[in-house]
Amino acid sequence: MSLRGFGLAAAFVALLPATAMLPVTAWAHGPTRQKIVETIEINAPIEKVWAVVSNFQDMSWHPAFVKTEGTGGNDVNATRILTTKDGGKINEKLDKWDAEKKMLQYEITEVDVKVVPVTGYESWITLKGEGDKTTMEWKGKFYRGYVNNDPPPELNDDAAVAAITGVYKSGLEALKKKLEGG
Amino acid sequence: MRWLIGFSLVGETGQAPLPVALRCANGERVKVRSNSTLRAARPILVSMAAALAVLITSDTALADDTAAPTPAATEALVTNQVSDSLSFVDLATFKSVAEIKIGGKPAGIAVSPDRLRAYLTSPDGKTVTVVDTKARAVLRRITVEGGPLGIAAHPSNGLIYVADWYSKRLTAIDPESGATRGQIDVGSSPSGIAVTPDGAFVLTADRDSNQVSIVDAATFKPVAAIPVGTRPFGISLDPSGTRAFTANVGSDDVTVIDLKTRKVAGRVAAGHHPYTVAFAGGHGFVTNQSGGTVTVFDAATLAVEKTIEVGDTPEGIAADPSGRFVYVACWFENALDRIDVATLSVTGQATVGDGPRSFGSFLR
Repeated sequence: MSLRGFGLAAAFVALLPATAMLPVTAWAHGPTRQKIVETIEINAPIEKVWAVVSNFQDMSWHPAFVKTEGTGGNDVNATRILTTKDGGKINEKLDKWDAEKKMLQYEITEVDVKVVPVTGYESWITLKGEGDKTTMEWKGKFYRGYVNNDPPPELNDDAAVAAITGVYKSGLEALKKKLEGG
Repeated sequence: MRWLIGFSLVGETGQAPLPVALRCANGERVKVRSNSTLRAARPILVSMAAALAVLITSDTALADDTAAPTPAATEALVTNQVSDSLSFVDLATFKSVAEIKIGGKPAGIAVSPDRLRAYLTSPDGKTVTVVDTKARAVLRRITVEGGPLGIAAHPSNGLIYVADWYSKRLTAIDPESGATRGQIDVGSSPSGIAVTPDGAFVLTADRDSNQVSIVDAATFKPVAAIPVGTRPFGISLDPSGTRAFTANVGSDDVTVIDLKTRKVAGRVAAGHHPYTVAFAGGHGFVTNQSGGTVTVFDAATLAVEKTIEVGDTPEGIAADPSGRFVYVACWFENALDRIDVATLSVTGQATVGDGPRSFGSFLR
């Protein structure tokens, strides 16, 4: 089963038996951090792309999320709660927001590994423009969902990488379609 | 007053070349050339070999005009966790000159006192890998329990200490035979390890207990636990060996412990998710994983002096014994950054493997 192009709900929830869930503290994580970098070229000027992705309080450009609720606007330490199609909640905090560098950095402060099988997740969105084209880079670093030794397959490093890769690819493709379509 | 608390011999052969170098409590090595008392004692010192600690005041030796500067490190050994390898970076040209396969997602590293061995932890592979640093070859792999991450080498007893990320276990291992020489419980999820320069104590940052454990190296028993900030990860000693510094990932600060009183003696505000601390030129340098920065503070007053932008996700950091440079492994950048201690600015970047961590001592 490929996770490519899937939304969050489809990608994550089906894989995880409830018995695999252990209490997860906000700080525990596995020993090996994972990294993902996905990029896409969008046929739109950088200001147009930035106007959409820089709004920390509106993630509606990503098909996996049905609702964004938050406080603090685009200020550092602003927070938001993303809701997935299946009702999963992801709490996030804005760490950097730089309109000149066209970059924002944020982290997940709280999420159930049933919703996203990762811990210690941090992410960056960076835009680089050239004329009417913009390259968007979305990168993330995170640990697998299982914080103890010898993880079950659905919460191991590969599962975490596959899940986040799916989220990034589906989001970038949807954004490109939205911006190029009008 | 500064004290010499042991000695080691210059040169990698172990054949006692002269002049003798004395290792100070602050980690400096001082060549002694013209002090008559020490010159007379030199043959005795040599014949006693490293088994005996020599306790003498060093004021005379340190004041010696002919004392040569401490030799700089020549190589950085960088554990690349994502690419499962170890990079060798030549510090003169500041380029990676070799990369060898390690396996098991290597993260932690310690270098033997004679710099001829590197000991790497692979938490996913449950192994400690012993590397011949001159031959750039794996000598042996030692299987350990749990998830080995933090590692440190004792300055004189030949042992290495390995912390199990998943439990409370601290294990003493003879890296030449692979034999376990002791195993004790400290706090939960011991992460960084430091050994005092005199070899008397082993310190662990117990991440999930928010404390530092002090272990008597001779008896291998915990003798104290000191509460620190939230989620201490790296632990380092200042050059005098009298204060320990933990980088607290949860509380975004550094806790300072006075090892004589075994009490918290200060706090430094760091950047986001600090990792570990190194010392050079009277400064402390803290890697901030999430900030992409290094916080510089005055090691005496603990006042923050500067924040330096470095490569993405800085983790392991180590100071050259010469005090001129500090090196930072930047995990997302796949690079080793060089900070000039005099100017507190980044003056070089060497490309290494994927996901460099180098958690521990990594210069030789």
